[in-house]
Amino acid sequence: MADENESTPNPEGVARPDPITPGASGAAGGAAAATATPTAPAKPAAPPAQRQSLKKDADTSIPSFPALVYREFIASLVVGVVLTAIALVVQSPLQQLADPSMTPDPSKAPWYFLGLQELLSRVPPITAGVAFPTFVIAGLIAMPYLDRNPSRHPRDRKVGIILFTGFIVFSVAFALIGTFFRGLEWKWYWDGILGR
Amino acid sequence: MAQDTARNRLQSGMKKAAALPIEIGVQLWKSVFRHGLPLTDKIATRTALTNYWLHAHPPRIRKSHMKFSYTFCLGGISFFLFVLLTVTGLFLMFYYVPSVQYAYQNMKDLQYAVSFGIVMRNLHRWGAHAMVITVWLHMCRVFYTGSYKPPREFNWGIGVTLLLMTLLLSFTGYLLPWDQLSLWAVTVGTNMAKYAPLAGPQTRFSMLGSYTVGNATILRFYVAHVLGLPLVAAIAMMVHFWRVRKDGFSGNL
Repeated sequence: MADENESTPNPEGVARPDPITPGASGAAGGAAAATATPTAPAKPAAPPAQRQSLKKDADTSIPSFPALVYREFIASLVVGVVLTAIALVVQSPLQQLADPSMTPDPSKAPWYFLGLQELLSRVPPITAGVAFPTFVIAGLIAMPYLDRNPSRHPRDRKVGIILFTGFIVFSVAFALIGTFFRGLEWKWYWDGILGR
Repeated sequence: MAQDTARNRLQSGMKKAAALPIEIGVQLWKSVFRHGLPLTDKIATRTALTNYWLHAHPPRIRKSHMKFSYTFCLGGISFFLFVLLTVTGLFLMFYYVPSVQYAYQNMKDLQYAVSFGIVMRNLHRWGAHAMVITVWLHMCRVFYTGSYKPPREFNWGIGVTLLLMTLLLSFTGYLLPWDQLSLWAVTVGTNMAKYAPLAGPQTRFSMLGSYTVGNATILRFYVAHVLGLPLVAAIAMMVHFWRVRKDGFSGNL
């Protein structure tokens, strides 16, 4: 099998993907591959020199067909089945006919914009409605160019990870507040219960 | 002797007949995949390399890149959801007229009169919500694995565009049922555009086609939802996948 790997034609120059980052296929990748593939060490007949090279490059490549294609198929199947099951049981909301003369209280945006709407209730509209979304989109696109740290490993990227996680937590928290905790006139739901 | 020959002929003929379905099966496989069954490494690689549908895949992949806990299949699932939404969306288009007069009634028809109409609508709606979530999670995964770093900076930008397209597709679709939920969610959403500097009200007017959410808005959102945005998203996806293929899978932290 290994010999066949070596003799496989390589017309696109990518048939055997090399490690993208130097040193990336080090101990961690090799160990992971060894645990993931029990067939890898089953080559006792290989001469010592070849065994050496196999050990060095335990993260061997396999044909993407059918292994990867099969995995994509399974993933699609699982998602398709789960989603169909949900679609059979949970009904989509359909309220009464749209009536421009009857404003519901509270009027809420779709859930993925409720973080923005929550922000809108706290800061001036130009900040929440325009400046913040523009900043987020431009910031996300510019991020790979501003991040000058070449390392991909989490332990070298503490600042980046803290900043991004902060952004994620902030957006999710605001969306959750907007979705679940805001009632009449965009006040806290419990304000009504507490009689405020 | 003559009898023996006849029997031999019969036997070999029956053997050939019995082998025929297998032969045709193999021929069928070969005609589709251009190579035999992927029983050896070499044939499997060539099959991936010379197949139109598989050419988005690398012919070979490192075992470590196949780790589920690295990608969680989030990009692939997002794409699958896009395809699913296209298919269910096409079905819904047969029964939907984008106008104040008919839209809501069409929803009721889908619910009560059209065979499997409500299932298709549910699939479309929950699939759309799921896609917003998987695209968002895919972005998080790419960030935490540092996969946006060179040479993939540009593809990260394409990805951000695709997230934006997903949100806009979902938002434009939100209006189409024309119930109270649609009308006021879109009213609140588009109200934010009012605050844009210089041309705020004009921006909102061009989004709605009017000063309030109405017939013109339904038509605009419908066209954007079924044609404009999917087209932009599909083109962005082609570039996105092509770059994934050319830049290689990141893998191996």
